[in-house]
Amino acid sequence: MRTIGMKRALAGVAIAAFAMNAQAAQAASATGQAKAKILRQIQLTAGSPLDFGTIISGSTASTVAMTTAGTRTCGSGLSCPGTGTAGSFDIQGTNGAVVTVSGDSSVTLNGSISGTMTAALTYSANTVTLGASGGNFQVGGTLNVGANQASGDHAGTYNVTVNYQ
Amino acid sequence: MLRLFGPFLCLFMAAFALPATPALAAGDLLVAPTRLILDGSRGAEVVLNNIGSEPATYRISLEVKRMAADGGLDEIAEADATPAEKAALAMIAFSPRRVVLPPNQPQVIRVGVRVPEGTPPGEYRAHMLFRAVPDSVAATAPKAAGEGVSIAITPIYGITIPVIVRIGDLEASATIGDARIGETRDGPAFEFDLTRSGTRSVYGDIEVTRRGEPQPLLVARGIAVYPEVDARTVSLRIPPDLAAQLRGPVHIRYTEDREVGGATIDAADRVVR
Repeated sequence: MRTIGMKRALAGVAIAAFAMNAQAAQAASATGQAKAKILRQIQLTAGSPLDFGTIISGSTASTVAMTTAGTRTCGSGLSCPGTGTAGSFDIQGTNGAVVTVSGDSSVTLNGSISGTMTAALTYSANTVTLGASGGNFQVGGTLNVGANQASGDHAGTYNVTVNYQ
Repeated sequence: MLRLFGPFLCLFMAAFALPATPALAAGDLLVAPTRLILDGSRGAEVVLNNIGSEPATYRISLEVKRMAADGGLDEIAEADATPAEKAALAMIAFSPRRVVLPPNQPQVIRVGVRVPEGTPPGEYRAHMLFRAVPDSVAATAPKAAGEGVSIAITPIYGITIPVIVRIGDLEASATIGDARIGETRDGPAFEFDLTRSGTRSVYGDIEVTRRGEPQPLLVARGIAVYPEVDARTVSLRIPPDLAAQLRGPVHIRYTEDREVGGATIDAADRVVR
C-alpha cells in the first residue's frame, strides 16, 4: 500500500518536472547533464462542510448563526437539535507563502419541497501565511429562517478561491 | 536524493491523509507552479492534479482580478474590465479547458501567448482559475414535510494563479514604508506600506530581522504589488507573542524571488510601533 501510494506521488511529480523542463532538458543534453526541477505547488482540500444542522422553524422569522470557530447560535423562536460545523479548508504550499482567500458573501438555498433561504457568509481570514504544515481557513455564516419556513432539504452552492499573488 | 525526497514525501503524505477524512466533496486539487511569467515568445505549462479520493471534473478559466490598497485581489466582471485587462484575456490561450481526472491523475495545461501586432509595451495579466465542478449536491437523508429544515451548502472551491505577459523593456522598483503592529478582527498583524513605481509589478519575499538575532523574526514569501496600485498595505497575521517581539527596531528586506536570483528590491530599518 505504502509503495503504491509512493509510486503514484512520484509519478505526479515526475510528470510535473518533465513537463516544465522540456527546454531545460534540451539545453542540458548538449552538456550531458541531467536536471529535475521541483515546481512550487499549492494544494487545496475541503474538510468539514458548512452545516447549520437541523432547524425547526417557528412562527416568526429568525436566524441561525455559525461562527468560523464552529459555535452555533440558534435564534429566538427556533429549535436546533443536534450540532453543526463551520466549513473548513486546508492549504498546502511553500513554507512562508502568503495567499489570499476570496469567496461569495452570500448563498441562496433552494428547498426540495418549496421556498428558498439565504445565508450571509464570513471567512476566518482574508490572507493566510502558510507554515511548515500549511494553513487553513474556516467559513461561517448567518442563515435567515423565515416564519414557518417550509420543511425539507435546502441546498445551495457558494464559490471560494485561494489566490496566489 | 534526500533533497528530492522532501517534496515527494509531502505529496505522499497528502495522498494518504485524505482517506482519513471522508470525501465530502470531490474536487481537492494541486496546482504547480504557482505563477507564470511569459514574454510572448514561448509558452508554459501548468500541472493540475486531482488529490481527492474521487474522480472529479475540473474547469480551467481566466479571470480578471485587481489588487486593492489592502493587497486583496478583487474579482472583476469581464464587462467591467479595462482595455488592457481585456487584451490580457485575449492574448493568453490555454488548453484543455475542462478535464475529468481520476484520483492522483495529473494533467498538463498548456498556456501560450499570442501578442497582436501593435500591442503597446506593458505588463498584461489575468488569473487562471482551476476549479472542480460539483457533480451533485451532498446528499443527506431526505426530510419529509414537518420534520424540520435541513441545510446542505456545497462549496465550489478552487485555486487561482497569476499569468503575466510582459511586452517590451519594463522596469519597476519598490519602497518599504512605515511598519506597525495592527489589530485585525482576528488578532494582531504585522503591517507595513509598500509603494511601487515603474512599468511592471514587483514580486518577492519579505524578511524581518533584528540586529543580533540569528533567525529572522518573520518571513513572508510571494508578496506582489501589481501595476494597478502604486501602493499597498501588507498585513500579515501573527501570534500575539510574535507581535510583542516585533515591536522595536527591525530590518525589513524585500527581495526578488529566489528563482530569479533573489536580488534586493528594497531594504529599510524601521521602528515597529
